[in-house]
Amino acid sequence: MEDHEILSKFQQPASRNLAFNQLVRKYQQKVYWHVRKMVIDHDDADDLTQDVFVKVFQHLENFRQDAQLFTWIYRIATNECLSFLKSKRRKFFLPLNDVGAELLAKVEADPAVAGDAIELKLQRAMLRLPDKQRLVFNLRYYDEMPYEQMAEVTGTSVGALKASYHHAARKIEEYITNADDPALSSDESA
Amino acid sequence: MKTPFSLSQYPRRAGQSLSSPPPGYFDRLPAQVMARVAPPARPAPLAWLLRAPAALRTGLASTLLLGTFAASLWLGGGPATSFPTTATSLDQVPQAQLIDYLTSGETHVDMLDLSELPAPRAGAASPYLHASASELNEALDGQPTPDDPGAL
Repeated sequence: MEDHEILSKFQQPASRNLAFNQLVRKYQQKVYWHVRKMVIDHDDADDLTQDVFVKVFQHLENFRQDAQLFTWIYRIATNECLSFLKSKRRKFFLPLNDVGAELLAKVEADPAVAGDAIELKLQRAMLRLPDKQRLVFNLRYYDEMPYEQMAEVTGTSVGALKASYHHAARKIEEYITNADDPALSSDESA
Repeated sequence: MKTPFSLSQYPRRAGQSLSSPPPGYFDRLPAQVMARVAPPARPAPLAWLLRAPAALRTGLASTLLLGTFAASLWLGGGPATSFPTTATSLDQVPQAQLIDYLTSGETHVDMLDLSELPAPRAGAASPYLHASASELNEALDGQPTPDDPGAL
């Protein structure tokens, strides 16, 4: 079902639930993986994905069709992720690196990553980035989203996004290049 | 010398880098979301009463009973005092039963009394009315009738 058809049916009370069910089925995987890459843990991603769709349901009536439905949903998901990570730090009074360490522990326990040395290095490097920079990197590198769409999702200019992505990519490459450095290893273990 | 790592040379993973969610997760997720957005069922009007302590429920029941009694008294204005009249009661008794009652037992009414009641007995007034029949007729004729102009 096309987005405009979903939106049209959603406006009618009789077909509202049917339309929303179609919307969830259409976007659930994209939203889940977008969230999962940010929070790493499946249970957290599950909770947040449901929260995202609940918010979509609550605000879809007011959705202005000057933006794409897909980018609007991504924007809600992005805000939910950033708020979740922020509240996690605030709740436990954890500095940036400690939350990163917690996420890193989950990545290292993930069997899909553990067997791939370069992927593990890549994930480690990504988790050292600030949340917003990691978000930009995920959208561009994994989802291959155009900068214009990324601008709609993040509410940031295209130029700033390009700069942020290249900065993140450079940091990751530097980290992986030096990953075998004993000094870096000792830094990680500490 | 270390070889610089370049993301552009690293083959990007086709799928997702992290492990997949549990099997069937995406089949269940829409139902879970729909359950969360469904309007909450409205509680039964007296559901709170079922959750109330037993002592409170007993007290409320007693109060309700007394209130109902007081209201019925107040609205009714006391016990009803209207009784059926004698004529109404007699109307409801079948005539055959009335005749049986009057002609049997200790009542001293016989069928002859009943049959002769409408007709006055001849000479019944002679012991106390000292006038002849012609005198009575003459006196009656002298009485003004409603048709006379000066009667009223």
